[in-house]
Amino acid sequence: MSASQLEAFLARLYVDADARANFKADPRAESQKAGLSEEQCAALEKLDWIGLEMAARSFARKRQSKRRLTWFAALKARLSRLRFPRFVHYGFYNSRNNLKRKKTSRPKNP
Amino acid sequence: MNYLTDRVGLGWRPDLAVGILEHLDGIDLLEVIADDFFSAPHRQIRALKTLAAQIPVVLHGVSLGLASSVPVETKRLDQMARLFDQIRPEFWSEHLAFVRAGGIEIGHLAAPPRSSASVDAAASNLHRAQAAVGAKPLVENIATLIDPPASTLSESDWIAGILSSSDCSLLLDLHNVLANGLNHGYNPIEFVRKIPPERITAIHIAGGKFVSAPDGTQRLLDDHFHDVPDPVFDLLEETAARAPSPLTVILERDGDYPSMDSLLAQIVQARCALAKGRARRAQTVEVLA
Repeated sequence: MSASQLEAFLARLYVDADARANFKADPRAESQKAGLSEEQCAALEKLDWIGLEMAARSFARKRQSKRRLTWFAALKARLSRLRFPRFVHYGFYNSRNNLKRKKTSRPKNP
Repeated sequence: MNYLTDRVGLGWRPDLAVGILEHLDGIDLLEVIADDFFSAPHRQIRALKTLAAQIPVVLHGVSLGLASSVPVETKRLDQMARLFDQIRPEFWSEHLAFVRAGGIEIGHLAAPPRSSASVDAAASNLHRAQAAVGAKPLVENIATLIDPPASTLSESDWIAGILSSSDCSLLLDLHNVLANGLNHGYNPIEFVRKIPPERITAIHIAGGKFVSAPDGTQRLLDDHFHDVPDPVFDLLEETAARAPSPLTVILERDGDYPSMDSLLAQIVQARCALAKGRARRAQTVEVLA
């Protein structure tokens, strides 16, 4: 069977806790179900289980931090693209200035 | 630096931007994560071009998956090609890893089973990448917490096979060598000695932490959140003593950022290790002559 099938099988083990549990319960049956060769099934039976769990945890953390970053980057990009219409901008600016001027305006000379 | 043009630089990260720009005289070059700019707005590309005009810049990819058994998607190669054209870096690099398979995104770099089939697949992807981008990538060895199952080749033989079939140079990540050596029971110095020295042109140095395994043992995680440990500097000295080409060393730091002074001190320490290695190499060359 092809190397791509083995990679796909490993990818599923890395991201899916249920797939890992099923595989751990019966490695040969699960790898045969995935269509892997006899040689590949035998190799997977000797898998480094501790390494698999640690790698899966590490990949999960990476995916989580990427999701956070992606969300933040999307928000930042959206905010940076926001453009207020000019009249709104000026209106806001002028009304603030008027307000300030009113507050700080000196009394006219008598 | 005292050997040809060995250089030591730093990985560009937005959190370090101010410190880097204030200390450009102490940094020989910057490595930029290419994927961060694939869909960046024009003004960010302009800013990157401005940066590249001030200091040599190299691009580093993290998501192509060049060691995958299936061909890399054209769309991803095109993104790298476009950025390469815009920035004109000194070189670009990617990892010998697969990051997706069967429609599943793993989210990080995974080690493929090491076999002659995966050597051929990686070489084919590297040829496609070269054709798309217009320049050969440097390829980087990765750290892995699990020794890839169904492997028939040692890591050093697998890497040497890919370098030979693709005619690419190696970006040797020394912390990854240290981590894999400790986690999978081989001597990191011996590993460096097995890599064809003429292929090594760039180096990554970084730090990681030990994490506890469920069986009570510990494994070294390459998280780039810690200072570069001494064994990595020892490996750098060993590499400099063997590699005939000028070396470009990049210090990688991805979080828990220390002061800029601390990062600059690690750059200086890398220069010292390079100088020591080059002195050893000069002595060996003299003896052989």
